[in-house]
Amino acid sequence: MTARIIMKLRVARARLTAPDVLHLDLVHPLRPELPEWTAGAHVDLRMPDGKIRQYSLCGDPADRSKYEIAIKREPSGRGGSVWAHEHLKEGAIAHVSAPRNNLPLVAAQRTVLVAGGIGITPFVAMAHELTRRGQDFVLHYCARSREEAPLIAELEAICGSRLKCWFSRGGSRFDPAVIGPHDGGTHVYVCGPQRLLDAVQGALADWPEEQIHGEVFQATLDENFKAEPFEAVIASTGQRLLVPADRSLLAVLRDAGFIVASSCELGVCGSCECGYRDGLVIHRDKSLAVGKRQDRMLPCVSRARVSVTLEM
Amino acid sequence: MHAPVAGRPPPKMVEAFSHPAGSVAAATPGGATAWRGRLLHIHVAPEASYEMEELAEAECVAGRGIVGDRYYNGTGTYSPKPDVREVTLIEQEALDALARNDPPLQDGPIVLEPRDHRRNLTVVGVPLNHLVGRRFRVGDVILRGGRLNFPCKYLEEILGKPVFLPLYNRSGLNCGIERGGIIRPGDVIELLEP
Repeated sequence: MTARIIMKLRVARARLTAPDVLHLDLVHPLRPELPEWTAGAHVDLRMPDGKIRQYSLCGDPADRSKYEIAIKREPSGRGGSVWAHEHLKEGAIAHVSAPRNNLPLVAAQRTVLVAGGIGITPFVAMAHELTRRGQDFVLHYCARSREEAPLIAELEAICGSRLKCWFSRGGSRFDPAVIGPHDGGTHVYVCGPQRLLDAVQGALADWPEEQIHGEVFQATLDENFKAEPFEAVIASTGQRLLVPADRSLLAVLRDAGFIVASSCELGVCGSCECGYRDGLVIHRDKSLAVGKRQDRMLPCVSRARVSVTLEM
Repeated sequence: MHAPVAGRPPPKMVEAFSHPAGSVAAATPGGATAWRGRLLHIHVAPEASYEMEELAEAECVAGRGIVGDRYYNGTGTYSPKPDVREVTLIEQEALDALARNDPPLQDGPIVLEPRDHRRNLTVVGVPLNHLVGRRFRVGDVILRGGRLNFPCKYLEEILGKPVFLPLYNRSGLNCGIERGGIIRPGDVIELLEP
C-alpha cells in the first residue's frame, strides 16, 4: 500500500441524506485547501482502534475547501459505520487520509454510470466532472425509494434529466439492457452490491473489459463455506492458539498480543499478509497472487484445516 | 509483524556519538565554527504518516526525543529500527534552493513548506552538514549530531513531489539530545566545545 498523509479534519457539517446514511463535510482546521483529488477517489477514515474504512468522496472535485463522504449505518457490519454515526457530529475531529483514486474517469464519447444504494457516492463527483467537461453521460440510480436514496437532491440538481431513477418500491427495476449494445465509445461504471455488479457484467459479457469499471470494496465470500475451528501454531515460540469457528485468525492473533497490520479485513487490501508453513490453508481472500499462496496468507479471512504453523 | 508486546515498548535510539558516522566525526576535527543560527519552526507528528503540527514551544527529553512526536512515541515509520532519531533538523537554505529549482534536477521549483518536509526543526544559518559528531545548543537544549539525514522515497510518495534527488546531501541532520529542556522558535543555535 502506498503511503498517504493522514490529516485531522473537522466535521463542518453532519446531516442524514437518507434515514441510515450520514453525509459529512470535512474541512482542514488550519488550511483553506485540502489535497487535490479527482472524481472516483476515496479516502481512508481511521477509527480510534486503528481500523481503517474507505469512503468515496461524494462532493465536487473542483471544490478544494472540503471533502464530502456519505456513510451508511450497517449495524451488522464490522463496527466502523456505527462508530462514525455515533461520534462524527459537527465539530468532531476525523482522521482522514489524502485521497487515492482506484476508479478514475476515462475520457469517453459517452459515459454510463450505474449505482445501487450507497454505491452512488463516487458518481456524484463524476457527475460534477462530466458536467463540467460537457461530456455525454447518463446516471442510473437504483434504490428502494426516493426517501432511501442517498444524495438524491444533489444528483437531481447536477444531472437534471440525465438522472434515471429505478426505485424498487415504485415497481421499477433496473434492467442492464437499457445500456444498449456494445459500442466502442462508451464506458460503463458500476458501483453497488455485488449482485448489481454481477448483473451488469453479465449483461455486458461481450464488451471489452477495459470499457467496464467497477469498485470492489467487499470480497466475494463463498456462501457455502462453513468455518471450522482450527489451531494456529507460532513457529518461533511453539505457542498454540485455538481459532474458534466464529472468529478470524487475525482477531485471535490480536487477542494473543500480536500486532498485525490490517485495513479492509475483507481479504482485499493485503495489509495483514503473513507467512506460514505446514498446514492446509483455505485461502478466501481476493488479493494474494496464486504464486504466493503456498507460504503466504491473509489471516483476516483465510483459515486452515485442523492446523497451521505461522512464521512469526 | 512484531512480537507480542505489553503496552508500547520504549523506542530504541542509538546514542548520536555511538553511531558509525557520529563516532568517526567526533574524533575528526574540522568544519565551520564561526556561525550563529536560529530556530525558525518546530513540527511534530503524533504517528507515522500523520500531518506535521507546528508547536510554539516543545519539550526535548534527553535520550528520547520531542514530546508528542512519533519518534518520541515509538510510532514513526522507522521506529522499529534503532537509529539516531530523537530530533531531526533541516536548513531553510536547502528549502529555499528547492523553491528556485537550484540545481535544476527536476521539471521546476519545488515548494516544500516547513510542515511538509517531516523534519522536526527548520533552522536558518546553521551548517548542518558540518555538525555530525559535534555538540551544539538550541536555546538551552544541547544536541549531538549523529548522522546526516537521508531523503527517503516514503517522503516522495507521501508528498507526491519528486524531492528525493534534490534533497540529496542536504536532507538535514539526525540528532540525539544530550541535555533536554524547552525550545521555541527564535532560539539561538550555536556550536559548543567538544
